Amino acid sequence: MRTSRVAVLATGVVFAALVAVFVVSDGDTDVGARSPLLGAPAPAVVTSTVDDAPFDLARRKGSWVVLNFFNSTCVPCIAEHPSLVDFVADEAGRADRAEFYTVVNDDSDEAINGFFAAKGGDWPKLRDTDGAVAVAFGVAKVPETWIIDPNGFVRLRIIGAVNDGVLEAQMARLRAGDQ
Amino acid sequence: MSGGARRLAWAGLLVVTAALLVFGSVRDSGPLTQQDRIDAITKRVACPTCDGESVYVSRAAAAQAIRAEVARQVGDGLSTDDEIVAYIADRFGGQVLLVPRGSGIDALVWVLPVVVAVALVAALASSFRRGAVATGARSRRAQLVVTVAVVVVVGVGGGVLVARQAGQRLPLQTATGGIDDSTASLLAQARLAGPTDVKSAIELYARVLETDPDNVEALTYRAWLIMLSARQFDESLRQQAYASTITALGRAIELEPGYPDAMCFLGIVVYRDGGDAKSAKEFLDRCLERNPPNEVRGMVESLAAEAAAEVGG
Repeated sequence: MRTSRVAVLATGVVFAALVAVFVVSDGDTDVGARSPLLGAPAPAVVTSTVDDAPFDLARRKGSWVVLNFFNSTCVPCIAEHPSLVDFVADEAGRADRAEFYTVVNDDSDEAINGFFAAKGGDWPKLRDTDGAVAVAFGVAKVPETWIIDPNGFVRLRIIGAVNDGVLEAQMARLRAGDQ
Repeated sequence: MSGGARRLAWAGLLVVTAALLVFGSVRDSGPLTQQDRIDAITKRVACPTCDGESVYVSRAAAAQAIRAEVARQVGDGLSTDDEIVAYIADRFGGQVLLVPRGSGIDALVWVLPVVVAVALVAALASSFRRGAVATGARSRRAQLVVTVAVVVVVGVGGGVLVARQAGQRLPLQTATGGIDDSTASLLAQARLAGPTDVKSAIELYARVLETDPDNVEALTYRAWLIMLSARQFDESLRQQAYASTITALGRAIELEPGYPDAMCFLGIVVYRDGGDAKSAKEFLDRCLERNPPNEVRGMVESLAAEAAAEVGG
Protein backbone atom coordinates (compact mmCIF):
# COMPACT_ATOMS: atom_id res chain seq x y z
CA MET A 1 0.00 0.00 0.00
CA ARG A 2 2.70 2.40 1.04
CA THR A 3 4.74 1.36 -2.01
CA SER A 4 1.90 2.30 -4.34
CA ARG A 5 1.49 5.72 -2.64
CA VAL A 6 5.21 6.36 -3.05
CA ALA A 7 5.05 5.29 -6.71
CA VAL A 8 2.14 7.68 -7.35
CA LEU A 9 3.96 10.47 -5.56
CA ALA A 10 7.17 9.85 -7.51
CA THR A 11 5.26 9.81 -10.80
CA GLY A 12 3.60 13.08 -9.87
CA VAL A 13 6.92 14.70 -9.01
CA VAL A 14 8.48 13.58 -12.29
CA PHE A 15 5.44 14.80 -14.24
CA ALA A 16 5.53 18.18 -12.46
CA ALA A 17 9.25 18.50 -13.19
CA LEU A 18 8.63 17.80 -16.86
CA VAL A 19 5.85 20.38 -17.00
CA ALA A 20 8.17 22.90 -15.32
CA VAL A 21 10.89 22.21 -17.89
CA PHE A 22 8.44 22.71 -20.76
CA VAL A 23 7.11 25.90 -19.21
CA VAL A 24 10.51 27.52 -18.73
CA SER A 25 11.90 26.40 -22.10
CA ASP A 26 11.96 28.94 -24.90
CA GLY A 27 10.06 27.81 -27.93
CA ASP A 28 11.14 28.75 -31.43
CA THR A 29 9.05 31.36 -33.20
CA ASP A 30 7.42 30.54 -36.50
CA VAL A 31 10.31 31.84 -38.57
CA GLY A 32 13.19 32.91 -36.36
CA ALA A 33 15.41 30.36 -34.71
CA ARG A 34 17.12 30.71 -31.36
CA SER A 35 20.68 31.87 -30.96
CA PRO A 36 22.59 33.46 -28.10
CA LEU A 37 23.70 36.04 -30.66
CA LEU A 38 20.21 37.48 -31.04
CA GLY A 39 20.21 40.98 -29.60
CA ALA A 40 24.00 40.96 -29.28
CA PRO A 41 26.62 42.68 -31.41
CA ALA A 42 27.31 40.63 -34.52
CA PRO A 43 30.52 38.61 -34.53
CA ALA A 44 33.47 40.07 -36.40
CA VAL A 45 33.50 39.12 -40.06
CA VAL A 46 36.62 40.19 -41.89
CA THR A 47 37.11 38.41 -45.18
CA SER A 48 37.08 38.99 -48.93
CA THR A 49 34.57 38.46 -51.67
CA VAL A 50 35.09 35.88 -54.38
CA ASP A 51 35.99 38.90 -56.53
CA ASP A 52 38.81 39.66 -54.06
CA ALA A 53 37.24 42.83 -52.65
CA PRO A 54 37.82 43.27 -48.91
CA PHE A 55 34.85 42.94 -46.57
CA ASP A 56 34.49 43.93 -42.92
CA LEU A 57 31.04 43.55 -41.36
CA ALA A 58 31.86 46.20 -38.74
CA ARG A 59 32.19 48.71 -41.58
CA ARG A 60 28.64 48.08 -42.75
CA LYS A 61 27.08 49.65 -39.63
CA GLY A 62 24.50 52.09 -40.85
CA SER A 63 22.93 49.53 -43.19
CA TRP A 64 20.72 46.54 -42.59
CA VAL A 65 22.81 43.51 -43.51
CA VAL A 66 21.50 40.10 -44.55
CA LEU A 67 23.96 37.20 -44.51
CA ASN A 68 22.93 34.03 -46.32
CA PHE A 69 25.10 30.97 -45.69
CA PHE A 70 25.18 28.99 -48.89
CA ASN A 71 26.63 26.03 -50.74
CA SER A 72 26.02 25.55 -54.45
CA THR A 73 25.33 21.81 -54.06
CA CYS A 74 22.83 22.11 -51.21
CA VAL A 75 19.29 21.43 -52.39
CA PRO A 76 17.45 23.82 -50.01
CA CYS A 77 19.93 26.56 -50.98
CA ILE A 78 19.08 26.05 -54.63
CA ALA A 79 15.38 25.94 -53.80
CA GLU A 80 15.39 29.25 -51.91
CA HIS A 81 17.50 31.08 -54.48
CA PRO A 82 14.62 32.59 -56.49
CA SER A 83 13.14 34.01 -53.25
CA LEU A 84 16.46 35.65 -52.44
CA VAL A 85 16.72 37.14 -55.92
CA ASP A 86 13.23 38.60 -55.51
CA PHE A 87 14.07 39.97 -52.07
CA VAL A 88 17.21 41.73 -53.30
CA ALA A 89 15.30 43.17 -56.27
CA ASP A 90 12.62 44.53 -53.91
CA GLU A 91 15.18 46.05 -51.60
CA ALA A 92 17.08 47.77 -54.41
CA GLY A 93 14.39 50.43 -54.68
CA ARG A 94 14.58 51.47 -51.04
CA ALA A 95 16.72 54.27 -49.59
CA ASP A 96 17.43 52.07 -46.56
CA ARG A 97 17.86 48.95 -48.64
CA ALA A 98 19.32 45.95 -46.88
CA GLU A 99 22.74 44.87 -48.08
CA PHE A 100 22.65 41.21 -49.04
CA TYR A 101 25.69 38.93 -48.88
CA THR A 102 26.18 35.26 -49.59
CA VAL A 103 28.60 33.55 -47.21
CA VAL A 104 30.19 30.69 -49.11
CA ASN A 105 30.17 27.54 -47.00
CA ASP A 106 32.61 24.78 -47.92
CA ASP A 107 32.52 25.55 -51.63
CA SER A 108 34.92 26.79 -54.31
CA ASP A 109 35.01 30.20 -55.99
CA GLU A 110 34.52 28.48 -59.36
CA ALA A 111 31.41 26.63 -58.24
CA ILE A 112 29.96 29.79 -56.73
CA ASN A 113 30.67 31.90 -59.80
CA GLY A 114 29.19 29.18 -62.02
CA PHE A 115 26.03 28.93 -59.92
CA PHE A 116 25.36 32.66 -59.81
CA ALA A 117 26.16 33.08 -63.50
CA ALA A 118 23.50 30.49 -64.26
CA LYS A 119 20.88 31.37 -61.63
CA GLY A 120 21.37 35.12 -61.18
CA GLY A 121 22.08 37.07 -58.03
CA ASP A 122 24.33 40.07 -58.47
CA TRP A 123 25.39 40.58 -54.88
CA PRO A 124 28.72 40.08 -53.10
CA LYS A 125 29.73 36.55 -52.16
CA LEU A 126 31.97 36.31 -49.11
CA ARG A 127 34.66 33.70 -48.71
CA ASP A 128 34.72 31.64 -45.53
CA THR A 129 37.66 29.46 -46.40
CA ASP A 130 38.28 27.90 -42.99
CA GLY A 131 34.70 28.15 -41.74
CA ALA A 132 35.47 30.87 -39.20
CA VAL A 133 32.38 32.90 -40.12
CA ALA A 134 30.14 29.85 -39.90
CA VAL A 135 31.53 28.96 -36.48
CA ALA A 136 31.21 32.55 -35.26
CA PHE A 137 27.50 32.45 -36.10
CA GLY A 138 27.04 28.82 -35.04
CA VAL A 139 26.05 27.67 -38.51
CA ALA A 140 26.37 23.91 -38.84
CA LYS A 141 24.23 23.33 -41.92
CA VAL A 142 23.25 25.55 -44.80
CA PRO A 143 21.18 27.41 -45.73
CA GLU A 144 20.90 29.85 -42.88
CA THR A 145 20.00 33.49 -43.10
CA TRP A 146 20.86 36.18 -40.54
CA ILE A 147 19.71 39.77 -40.33
CA ILE A 148 21.87 42.40 -38.65
CA ASP A 149 20.52 45.87 -37.91
CA PRO A 150 22.21 49.19 -38.75
CA ASN A 151 23.69 49.37 -35.23
CA GLY A 152 25.45 46.06 -35.79
CA PHE A 153 23.15 43.94 -33.61
CA VAL A 154 21.97 40.50 -34.68
CA ARG A 155 18.19 40.60 -35.03
CA LEU A 156 17.05 37.40 -36.74
CA ARG A 157 18.23 33.91 -37.57
CA ILE A 158 16.40 31.72 -40.05
CA ILE A 159 17.47 28.09 -40.27
CA GLY A 160 16.70 26.32 -43.54
CA ALA A 161 15.34 27.63 -46.80
CA VAL A 162 13.32 30.83 -46.80
CA ASN A 163 10.06 30.78 -48.68
CA ASP A 164 8.73 33.52 -50.93
CA GLY A 165 7.96 36.71 -49.04
CA VAL A 166 9.42 35.59 -45.70
CA LEU A 167 12.46 37.86 -45.77
CA GLU A 168 10.36 40.78 -46.98
CA ALA A 169 7.92 40.28 -44.10
CA GLN A 170 10.69 39.89 -41.54
CA MET A 171 12.50 42.99 -42.75
CA ALA A 172 9.26 44.98 -42.58
CA ARG A 173 8.70 43.75 -39.03
CA LEU A 174 12.22 44.62 -37.95
CA ARG A 175 12.14 48.04 -39.60
CA ALA A 176 8.92 48.75 -37.75
CA GLY A 177 10.80 48.11 -34.53
CA ASP A 178 9.28 44.77 -33.59
CA GLN A 179 11.56 42.36 -31.75
CA MET B 1 17.18 8.16 14.80
CA SER B 2 19.10 5.38 16.56
CA GLY B 3 22.81 5.60 17.22
CA GLY B 4 23.52 3.00 14.55
CA ALA B 5 21.57 4.86 11.88
CA ARG B 6 23.28 8.12 12.78
CA ARG B 7 26.66 6.48 12.48
CA LEU B 8 25.64 5.02 9.13
CA ALA B 9 24.53 8.44 7.85
CA TRP B 10 27.78 10.07 8.95
CA ALA B 11 29.79 7.26 7.40
CA GLY B 12 27.89 7.70 4.14
CA LEU B 13 28.54 11.42 4.12
CA LEU B 14 32.22 10.86 4.77
CA VAL B 15 32.50 8.35 1.94
CA VAL B 16 30.75 10.67 -0.52
CA THR B 17 32.88 13.66 0.49
CA ALA B 18 36.10 11.65 0.31
CA ALA B 19 35.18 10.27 -3.10
CA LEU B 20 34.47 13.74 -4.44
CA LEU B 21 37.71 15.16 -3.08
CA VAL B 22 39.72 12.30 -4.60
CA PHE B 23 37.95 12.74 -7.92
CA GLY B 24 38.61 16.46 -7.92
CA SER B 25 42.26 16.10 -7.04
CA VAL B 26 43.07 13.46 -9.66
CA ARG B 27 41.45 15.31 -12.56
CA ASP B 28 43.77 15.76 -15.52
CA SER B 29 45.64 19.01 -15.11
CA GLY B 30 45.62 19.63 -18.87
CA PRO B 31 47.63 19.02 -21.97
CA LEU B 32 51.08 20.43 -22.54
CA THR B 33 51.51 21.37 -26.19
CA GLN B 34 49.22 23.40 -28.42
CA GLN B 35 48.31 20.30 -30.42
CA ASP B 36 47.51 18.49 -27.17
CA ARG B 37 45.24 21.37 -26.23
CA ILE B 38 43.52 21.31 -29.62
CA ASP B 39 42.99 17.56 -29.36
CA ALA B 40 41.71 17.77 -25.79
CA ILE B 41 39.27 20.56 -26.63
CA THR B 42 37.94 18.94 -29.79
CA LYS B 43 37.37 15.70 -27.88
CA ARG B 44 35.02 17.61 -25.58
CA VAL B 45 32.89 18.93 -28.44
CA ALA B 46 30.46 16.95 -30.58
CA CYS B 47 30.30 17.43 -34.32
CA PRO B 48 27.05 19.40 -34.79
CA THR B 49 26.11 17.66 -38.02
CA CYS B 50 26.93 14.03 -37.24
CA ASP B 51 25.67 11.43 -34.82
CA GLY B 52 27.88 10.41 -31.93
CA GLU B 53 31.18 11.76 -33.24
CA SER B 54 33.40 14.28 -31.61
CA VAL B 55 34.91 17.14 -33.56
CA TYR B 56 38.23 15.38 -32.94
CA VAL B 57 37.32 12.34 -35.04
CA SER B 58 34.77 13.77 -37.47
CA ARG B 59 35.67 14.78 -41.00
CA ALA B 60 32.44 16.71 -41.62
CA ALA B 61 32.79 20.28 -42.86
CA ALA B 62 31.27 21.76 -39.70
CA ALA B 63 33.66 19.75 -37.53
CA GLN B 64 36.63 20.87 -39.60
CA ALA B 65 35.51 24.49 -39.25
CA ILE B 66 35.24 24.10 -35.47
CA ARG B 67 38.65 22.42 -35.35
CA ALA B 68 40.13 25.32 -37.31
CA GLU B 69 38.51 27.80 -34.93
CA VAL B 70 39.85 25.91 -31.91
CA ALA B 71 43.33 25.86 -33.45
CA ARG B 72 43.09 29.60 -34.14
CA GLN B 73 42.04 30.43 -30.59
CA VAL B 74 44.66 28.12 -29.08
CA GLY B 75 47.25 29.75 -31.35
CA ASP B 76 46.15 33.21 -30.22
CA GLY B 77 46.85 32.13 -26.66
CA LEU B 78 44.21 34.46 -25.24
CA SER B 79 41.62 31.91 -24.11
CA THR B 80 41.64 28.97 -21.74
CA ASP B 81 40.35 25.58 -22.86
CA ASP B 82 37.11 26.16 -20.99
CA GLU B 83 36.65 29.55 -22.63
CA ILE B 84 37.15 28.04 -26.07
CA VAL B 85 34.66 25.26 -25.34
CA ALA B 86 32.28 27.91 -24.01
CA TYR B 87 32.64 29.90 -27.22
CA ILE B 88 31.74 26.85 -29.31
CA ALA B 89 28.84 25.91 -27.01
CA ASP B 90 27.62 29.49 -27.02
CA ARG B 91 27.43 29.47 -30.80
CA PHE B 92 26.14 25.95 -31.47
CA GLY B 93 24.21 25.30 -28.25
CA GLY B 94 24.82 23.06 -25.25
CA GLN B 95 24.03 19.93 -27.28
CA VAL B 96 27.55 20.00 -28.73
CA LEU B 97 29.06 19.47 -25.29
CA LEU B 98 30.07 15.81 -24.94
CA VAL B 99 30.43 16.36 -21.21
CA PRO B 100 27.26 18.12 -20.07
CA ARG B 101 27.50 21.38 -18.18
CA GLY B 102 27.51 21.39 -14.40
CA SER B 103 24.90 24.14 -14.27
CA GLY B 104 21.35 24.81 -15.39
CA ILE B 105 19.09 22.05 -16.70
CA ASP B 106 22.16 20.12 -17.92
CA ALA B 107 23.22 19.64 -14.30
CA LEU B 108 20.29 17.24 -13.83
CA VAL B 109 22.38 14.69 -15.71
CA TRP B 110 24.78 14.74 -12.79
CA VAL B 111 22.40 15.42 -9.94
CA LEU B 112 19.66 12.88 -10.61
CA PRO B 113 21.79 9.71 -10.54
CA VAL B 114 23.25 10.74 -7.18
CA VAL B 115 19.79 11.51 -5.82
CA VAL B 116 18.50 8.15 -7.02
CA ALA B 117 21.51 6.29 -5.65
CA VAL B 118 21.19 7.93 -2.23
CA ALA B 119 17.43 7.27 -2.21
CA LEU B 120 17.98 3.60 -3.01
CA VAL B 121 20.58 3.19 -0.28
CA ALA B 122 18.31 4.94 2.20
CA ALA B 123 15.33 2.82 1.20
CA LEU B 124 17.41 -0.32 1.56
CA ALA B 125 18.69 0.71 4.99
CA SER B 126 15.19 1.63 6.07
CA SER B 127 13.71 -1.69 5.01
CA PHE B 128 16.45 -3.60 6.79
CA ARG B 129 15.79 -1.63 9.95
CA ARG B 130 12.02 -2.15 9.70
CA GLY B 131 12.59 -5.83 9.56
CA ALA B 132 14.93 -5.74 12.55
CA VAL B 133 13.15 -3.30 14.85
CA ALA B 134 9.46 -3.11 15.57
CA THR B 135 8.44 0.42 16.46
CA GLY B 136 5.26 2.41 16.85
CA ALA B 137 3.39 4.11 13.96
CA ARG B 138 4.33 7.64 15.10
CA SER B 139 7.96 6.67 15.42
CA ARG B 140 7.92 5.10 11.94
CA ARG B 141 6.44 8.30 10.45
CA ALA B 142 9.09 10.43 12.12
CA GLN B 143 11.74 8.05 10.89
CA LEU B 144 10.35 8.29 7.35
CA VAL B 145 10.41 12.09 7.43
CA VAL B 146 13.99 12.14 8.69
CA THR B 147 15.03 9.61 6.07
CA VAL B 148 13.43 11.61 3.26
CA ALA B 149 15.07 14.81 4.52
CA VAL B 150 18.48 13.14 4.68
CA VAL B 151 18.01 11.67 1.20
CA VAL B 152 17.09 15.06 -0.25
CA VAL B 153 19.93 16.94 1.44
CA VAL B 154 22.63 14.35 0.80
CA GLY B 155 21.38 13.43 -2.65
CA VAL B 156 20.96 16.94 -4.01
CA GLY B 157 24.05 18.25 -2.24
CA GLY B 158 26.16 15.37 -3.49
CA GLY B 159 24.68 15.70 -6.95
CA VAL B 160 25.50 19.38 -7.14
CA LEU B 161 29.05 18.70 -5.99
CA VAL B 162 29.44 16.00 -8.62
CA ALA B 163 28.01 18.32 -11.27
CA ARG B 164 30.48 21.02 -10.33
CA GLN B 165 33.38 18.63 -10.42
CA ALA B 166 32.49 16.57 -13.45
CA GLY B 167 30.40 18.96 -15.55
CA GLN B 168 31.83 21.38 -18.10
CA ARG B 169 32.89 24.54 -16.34
CA LEU B 170 32.32 27.29 -18.85
CA PRO B 171 33.46 30.72 -17.74
CA LEU B 172 31.53 32.71 -20.34
CA GLN B 173 28.26 31.34 -19.02
CA THR B 174 28.56 33.09 -15.69
CA ALA B 175 25.97 35.66 -14.81
CA THR B 176 28.51 38.43 -15.11
CA GLY B 177 29.55 37.36 -18.60
CA GLY B 178 32.87 37.97 -20.24
CA ILE B 179 32.20 40.33 -23.08
CA ASP B 180 30.34 43.22 -21.49
CA ASP B 181 33.32 45.51 -21.60
CA SER B 182 34.79 44.27 -24.85
CA THR B 183 35.53 46.76 -27.59
CA ALA B 184 32.71 45.35 -29.70
CA SER B 185 30.26 45.74 -26.85
CA LEU B 186 31.35 49.31 -26.07
CA LEU B 187 31.11 50.25 -29.73
CA ALA B 188 27.64 48.70 -29.89
CA GLN B 189 26.52 50.62 -26.79
CA ALA B 190 27.95 53.84 -28.19
CA ARG B 191 26.14 53.25 -31.45
CA LEU B 192 22.85 52.78 -29.62
CA ALA B 193 23.38 55.85 -27.44
CA GLY B 194 24.58 58.01 -30.32
CA PRO B 195 21.41 59.59 -31.69
CA THR B 196 19.78 60.46 -28.38
CA ASP B 197 22.54 60.61 -25.79
CA VAL B 198 25.54 62.13 -27.52
CA LYS B 199 27.47 62.73 -24.30
CA SER B 200 27.31 59.06 -23.28
CA ALA B 201 28.22 57.98 -26.80
CA ILE B 202 31.29 60.23 -26.80
CA GLU B 203 32.33 58.80 -23.42
CA LEU B 204 31.90 55.23 -24.65
CA TYR B 205 34.00 55.91 -27.75
CA ALA B 206 36.62 57.50 -25.48
CA ARG B 207 36.67 54.32 -23.37
CA VAL B 208 37.34 52.30 -26.51
CA LEU B 209 40.20 54.63 -27.43
CA GLU B 210 41.74 54.24 -23.97
CA THR B 211 42.41 50.57 -24.67
CA ASP B 212 42.63 50.76 -28.45
CA PRO B 213 43.85 54.23 -29.50
CA ASP B 214 43.81 53.23 -33.18
CA ASN B 215 40.23 52.03 -33.28
CA VAL B 216 39.02 53.61 -36.49
CA GLU B 217 35.31 53.48 -35.71
CA ALA B 218 35.76 55.10 -32.30
CA LEU B 219 38.10 57.76 -33.69
CA THR B 220 35.66 58.60 -36.46
CA TYR B 221 32.40 58.65 -34.54
CA ARG B 222 33.79 60.38 -31.46
CA ALA B 223 35.14 63.16 -33.67
CA TRP B 224 31.87 63.38 -35.60
CA LEU B 225 29.73 63.60 -32.46
CA ILE B 226 32.04 66.19 -30.89
CA MET B 227 31.69 68.36 -33.99
CA LEU B 228 27.91 67.97 -34.00
CA SER B 229 27.74 68.95 -30.33
CA ALA B 230 30.07 71.93 -30.77
CA ARG B 231 27.79 73.53 -33.34
CA GLN B 232 25.60 74.85 -30.54
CA PHE B 233 28.50 76.61 -28.80
CA ASP B 234 30.45 79.80 -29.54
CA GLU B 235 32.91 80.33 -32.37
CA SER B 236 36.08 79.63 -30.39
CA LEU B 237 34.77 76.27 -29.14
CA ARG B 238 33.59 75.40 -32.63
CA GLN B 239 37.05 76.19 -33.99
CA GLN B 240 38.67 73.97 -31.38
CA ALA B 241 36.25 71.16 -32.14
CA TYR B 242 36.78 71.63 -35.88
CA ALA B 243 40.55 71.34 -35.52
CA SER B 244 40.37 68.23 -33.33
CA THR B 245 37.74 66.62 -35.58
CA ILE B 246 39.83 67.13 -38.72
CA THR B 247 42.86 65.67 -36.93
CA ALA B 248 40.94 62.62 -35.69
CA LEU B 249 39.25 61.93 -39.02
CA GLY B 250 42.59 62.36 -40.79
CA ARG B 251 44.09 59.84 -38.39
CA ALA B 252 41.24 57.39 -39.04
CA ILE B 253 41.70 57.71 -42.80
CA GLU B 254 45.45 57.25 -42.42
CA LEU B 255 44.85 54.07 -40.42
CA GLU B 256 42.21 52.68 -42.78
CA PRO B 257 42.05 54.50 -46.12
CA GLY B 258 39.13 52.40 -47.31
CA TYR B 259 36.83 53.25 -44.37
CA PRO B 260 34.01 55.23 -45.96
CA ASP B 261 32.50 56.82 -42.85
CA ALA B 262 35.64 58.79 -41.93
CA MET B 263 35.96 60.15 -45.46
CA CYS B 264 32.26 61.02 -45.58
CA PHE B 265 32.30 62.85 -42.24
CA LEU B 266 35.46 64.69 -43.30
CA GLY B 267 33.65 65.92 -46.39
CA ILE B 268 30.59 66.99 -44.42
CA VAL B 269 32.62 68.81 -41.75
CA VAL B 270 34.89 70.53 -44.24
CA TYR B 271 31.85 71.77 -46.14
CA ARG B 272 29.45 72.64 -43.32
CA ASP B 273 31.91 73.85 -40.71
CA GLY B 274 34.97 74.79 -42.77
CA GLY B 275 33.11 76.32 -45.72
CA ASP B 276 35.55 74.76 -48.20
CA ALA B 277 33.31 73.43 -51.00
CA LYS B 278 36.16 72.39 -53.29
CA SER B 279 37.93 70.17 -50.74
CA ALA B 280 34.59 68.94 -49.45
CA LYS B 281 33.52 67.80 -52.93
CA GLU B 282 36.73 65.84 -53.30
CA PHE B 283 36.24 64.12 -49.95
CA LEU B 284 32.55 63.43 -50.60
CA ASP B 285 33.29 61.93 -54.01
CA ARG B 286 35.91 59.67 -52.41
CA CYS B 287 33.39 58.76 -49.74
CA LEU B 288 30.82 57.64 -52.32
CA GLU B 289 33.48 55.66 -54.17
CA ARG B 290 34.02 53.71 -50.93
CA ASN B 291 30.41 52.48 -50.82
CA PRO B 292 29.30 53.99 -47.50
CA PRO B 293 26.51 52.33 -45.49
CA ASN B 294 23.03 53.63 -46.23
CA GLU B 295 22.70 55.90 -43.20
CA VAL B 296 25.87 57.77 -44.16
CA ARG B 297 25.12 57.68 -47.89
CA GLY B 298 21.81 59.38 -47.17
CA MET B 299 23.66 62.29 -45.52
CA VAL B 300 26.26 62.62 -48.25
CA GLU B 301 24.54 62.34 -51.62
CA SER B 302 22.61 65.59 -51.50
CA LEU B 303 25.54 67.41 -49.91
CA ALA B 304 27.90 66.19 -52.63
CA ALA B 305 25.52 67.61 -55.26
CA GLU B 306 25.31 70.88 -53.32
CA ALA B 307 29.10 71.18 -53.08
CA ALA B 308 29.48 70.30 -56.76
CA ALA B 309 27.01 73.04 -57.72
CA GLU B 310 28.90 75.55 -55.57
CA VAL B 311 32.26 74.61 -57.05
CA GLY B 312 30.82 74.68 -60.54
CA GLY B 313 29.31 78.12 -59.89
